[in-house]
Amino acid sequence: MTDAHVVGSGIIDFGEKYEWAFDDLLEGAYLDLVESVDHGIEPTKDIDAIWYGTLDIANEGSSGASVAHATGLFEKPATQIVNACATGSDAFRNAVQAVKAGDVEVALVIGAEKMLDSTEGLIGGAALERLWRGRGVTMPAFFGMRATRHMDQYETTREQIAEVSVKNHENGTKYPHAHQQFECSVDDVKESATVSYPLNLYDCCPVTDGACAVLVTNDERSREFTDAPVRVAGYGFSTDSFMRGDDLALTNFPASRQASSMAYERSGYGPDDIDVAEVHDCFSITELITYEDLGFCEQGEGGTFIDDGVPHLDGEKPVNPSGGLLSKGHPIGATGVAQIAEIFEQLRGEAGDVQVPDAEVGLQHNIGIGRNATGAVSCVNILER
Amino acid sequence: MSGPRYHRTREQDQRLVAFECQSCGYVSFPDEKQTCKRCGDAPATFEEVQLAERGEIKTFVVQEYLPDDIEVPQPLAIVDLPQADGSGESARVYGLLTETELDELSVGTEVEARFRELFDDGERPINSFKFSVPREVKR
Repeated sequence: MTDAHVVGSGIIDFGEKYEWAFDDLLEGAYLDLVESVDHGIEPTKDIDAIWYGTLDIANEGSSGASVAHATGLFEKPATQIVNACATGSDAFRNAVQAVKAGDVEVALVIGAEKMLDSTEGLIGGAALERLWRGRGVTMPAFFGMRATRHMDQYETTREQIAEVSVKNHENGTKYPHAHQQFECSVDDVKESATVSYPLNLYDCCPVTDGACAVLVTNDERSREFTDAPVRVAGYGFSTDSFMRGDDLALTNFPASRQASSMAYERSGYGPDDIDVAEVHDCFSITELITYEDLGFCEQGEGGTFIDDGVPHLDGEKPVNPSGGLLSKGHPIGATGVAQIAEIFEQLRGEAGDVQVPDAEVGLQHNIGIGRNATGAVSCVNILER
Repeated sequence: MSGPRYHRTREQDQRLVAFECQSCGYVSFPDEKQTCKRCGDAPATFEEVQLAERGEIKTFVVQEYLPDDIEVPQPLAIVDLPQADGSGESARVYGLLTETELDELSVGTEVEARFRELFDDGERPINSFKFSVPREVKR
């Protein structure tokens, strides 16, 4: 069986892109990819199949036909993946599996979301009917409940949680495609408006339009596109729910532990081998508990981990050098693909002002909340140069 | 639609009826199913059990930002409700709280289900429960 390799990436600047239609987002990321492949690409000839991630929040991009319309890549298999906020990562994982299986030689993975064309919004979508099944539970509430319990159980402080946002905003000012490019202090986070106690506005990622694409191929074709391919060393995907009764699911995400265990096992790497990580920080608390779920620190030690500066850009294990979702933004279908693109750049030494020195192994982690805020999905991919 | 979907679970809403997996002891609420969320038994055998009206807050938030037609602050908790006869495991449920003062709420606070009209769908009232801190427990 062949390995799968990432051999190109393309991204548009994330932000409020009112002038751009949904198709323009896809086309922009696709063109940036086509123009940046080291040795060039003849897309209609080279690309065998497309995996396309979008929740289609703007209701403009359903089915694989949408990506064909936006890019001109007709007469090929094009599959839409929808898997909550882990949509983009799961599109990537599916493409990797097809390449490894030998069924596809060159796959395009592309994700896009036009969040700001939604008339209802994600909070509005959580109507109060059938509350006990999660209706009425907004995303800040769902993640805020982990914060409340983590603070109670492990004496994690409000300041430690805020520090995640401070770190990621600082990184975001150095990352050219980030939506929110400003620095903030722990006090700024604590004094920003309460969205859902204990989380405030600066604990929450912004609402952002964006798109990103990566190119995946096999051993044989990889050098055709670049002299510096990035190998996909492992991947994992899992689902779990706090409703299954495990107390761990009240503070953390068992699905992330399962997905990362699978990825570690497939790759032969462990948490100590990871040089750089892009993880899901839809809220500050999400990143803090993810340090624990990925095994970067012990259970309950996420607060100390950030206090000690370990995940900072100049720390021992930099997490979210791109600014993460908190600064870069979270256009759902594009989010996971953009994390992959950042790890690809990091491992090739092309990450500019947020470059982690000598990064050889990178991890990408993306979770999603589904079934009316009762279940979680988690995807982890490990890449190496 | 042939009828409002929340009418399918009137029993659970109004009487706190739950279902205990006879393989692993998991207590399913409100779902009445033939497969078990915890052990995966399929088909699983479930027995109907009655939940107590008093339980314990496992964690909570106070939602301050919601659509305009919903009252804020809107406190929300995950609550463990034990079985009424004291046997077996608790059910883990989402619930709205009537308390809005933060100092009334913490992880471990005892709360009691109060049955009331939760909302109106335009044609009929929908009855379910909210949780309150019982008067004798209030600080």
